[in-house]
Amino acid sequence: MALIHLQQINKVYGVGDLEVHALRDVNLSINPGEYCAIVGASGSGKSTAMNLIGCLDRPTRGSYRLDGVPVNTLEADALADIRNRKIGFVFQQFHLLPQLTAVENVMLPMVYANVPKPQRRSRATKALQKVGLGNRLHNRPNQLSGGQQQRVAIARAIVNRPKLLLADEPTGALDSQTSQSIMDIFASLNRDGMTLVMVTHDEVVARQCDRVITFRDGQVLSDTPAILLQVQDHHVPQRPT
Amino acid sequence: MAFNLLENTSMAVKTLGANKLRSGLTMLGIIIGNASVIAMVAAGQAAQSYVTRQFESLGTNVLFVTPGDAQRGPTAGVSRADTLTLADAEAIAAEVLAVGAVSPEKNQRLRVTRGAAETQANVIGTTPEYVPVRQIDLAQGRFLNPVDAQSDLRMAVLGSEVAQTLFGAQDPINQGVRIDNIRFTVVGVVTPRGSSFGQNQDEAVYIPIQVMVDQITGQEVGKTSPSVQTIAVSASDATSASAAQYQITNLLRLRHGLLNREDDFTVQSQQDLLDTAASITDILVLVLAFTAGISLLVGGIGIMNIMLVSVTERTREIGLRKAIGARGSDISAQFTIEAIILAVIGGAIGTGLGIGSILVLTLATPLSAGISLSAIAISFTVSGSTGLIFGLLPARRAAQLDPIVALRS
Repeated sequence: MALIHLQQINKVYGVGDLEVHALRDVNLSINPGEYCAIVGASGSGKSTAMNLIGCLDRPTRGSYRLDGVPVNTLEADALADIRNRKIGFVFQQFHLLPQLTAVENVMLPMVYANVPKPQRRSRATKALQKVGLGNRLHNRPNQLSGGQQQRVAIARAIVNRPKLLLADEPTGALDSQTSQSIMDIFASLNRDGMTLVMVTHDEVVARQCDRVITFRDGQVLSDTPAILLQVQDHHVPQRPT
Repeated sequence: MAFNLLENTSMAVKTLGANKLRSGLTMLGIIIGNASVIAMVAAGQAAQSYVTRQFESLGTNVLFVTPGDAQRGPTAGVSRADTLTLADAEAIAAEVLAVGAVSPEKNQRLRVTRGAAETQANVIGTTPEYVPVRQIDLAQGRFLNPVDAQSDLRMAVLGSEVAQTLFGAQDPINQGVRIDNIRFTVVGVVTPRGSSFGQNQDEAVYIPIQVMVDQITGQEVGKTSPSVQTIAVSASDATSASAAQYQITNLLRLRHGLLNREDDFTVQSQQDLLDTAASITDILVLVLAFTAGISLLVGGIGIMNIMLVSVTERTREIGLRKAIGARGSDISAQFTIEAIILAVIGGAIGTGLGIGSILVLTLATPLSAGISLSAIAISFTVSGSTGLIFGLLPARRAAQLDPIVALRS
């Protein structure tokens, strides 16, 4: 069974003459364990699709099943619980809380998940060790580099053991070397069975995924295994590393 | 609720602690509001008890007969200021059964000198009955006695300040002083009594009323008996004050021939005066509390203001919390608790300041202010609920933020 199953999804913003169709009849299935990139020009609908998949927004029409649950019918509080337990988010701007230390930031999702207090710290510490920040537990975000901050954000995203990790331009604010270290973490998480979906502009990043879904004008333009993409687009120059 | 109270409180403390200056400024309004509620209520109550004590210092069961009709305002009193006479006082003493002692008082502000030393004093012509009616004590010597009262001997009893000014450390007994340039012999000094209704009672000099009439004010034209300003009367016991009031009124109406006219005098019991004063001071307390309440309200609006700014500033934090699973209720609880914590801490500091200002008030003024537990309880409740009420709008706004928009801001 697909982990993500979008069927005839439409998203319309505004009313009347101001109506904007951000998504038109999108059908998409992503299976557990997949490693997907969503690409497309700005305004193509990729961010809207990402928000819907992340249960941050609801479709105007169509059905969305996440892990078998028809989430398009759920109320706001139920969606919050789904986001808390089944999805981990990684953002371009990291979005760490500046007043909290790394380990406290990672503990945050467990607070909303009602994890008993004694467990939180040990689980958060383990998650940080997993992303290679076991020695930065008590640093605040402003004492960490961009790459380190993003690794804290990844630890926060995986600490509730979600089925799905959503990353929105996770390397957009990082230099290429740091980007690669983040991609390595994603790859290793995927090897451990995590389903990953990321929105990206970066060709180099997209090519490291197994599957690339391209959006244009609110629709899925192409949906290709990355290995084929490389063959098709051989004219695209490789980014220097 | 997925998010418990303890969690939220420690989170709020951490957040507020991270921005100490702003938290402090936010609390300022509540601090001032709370301090003023406590201080103002205490000041009001102090004024109330001060006034009450003033009346009680007049002596219990005391009635005051004054010329004129007090109900018709001061001009009515002034125009008939000589309607009460020494003969009225003697009649009250002789004919009213419910009366204990009667003290007629005729006073005038005069210059009192001894050699080069001089002072202005309220010179009161009275009788020996002044002591039981007005309940005064002698520090030295004696008060006027019946012999002084009958004869035209120029004897004087000094108030404590007059004695201090004219004699300093010397013993004034049997020494001479000049009142309005007439020589008197000092026979006693009264213990300090403080002031009553703005009148410093220690600036008084007591002389026999007959001497006052014969040698100072002089006989009044067309009067068979000299006029007096006050006749202070003590009822024979606590239960007969109203009977005495009634009997004195009847007697004086008869004596003044007021068959079809209104009273040209007023008989007021201490209770009447107390009631009047209480109704005034009650309003005073109310006005003070109301004023202070307004500053508390302004403090609450201050909290709301800053909390709204804080919601705007922390849009990204709110978006992030929602993305990782916070419900709207979690977010609103977080902001509400922050507001309540600010209000309660501000309330506590304000209460401290209020108590401090009460102590200052007690030291600096004759008012002795009590620290009212009820005022503290009320202002804590009010500041807590101020935080709650004025925290609601910002919290609601935070809870309703769209996480997508919030994350992109």
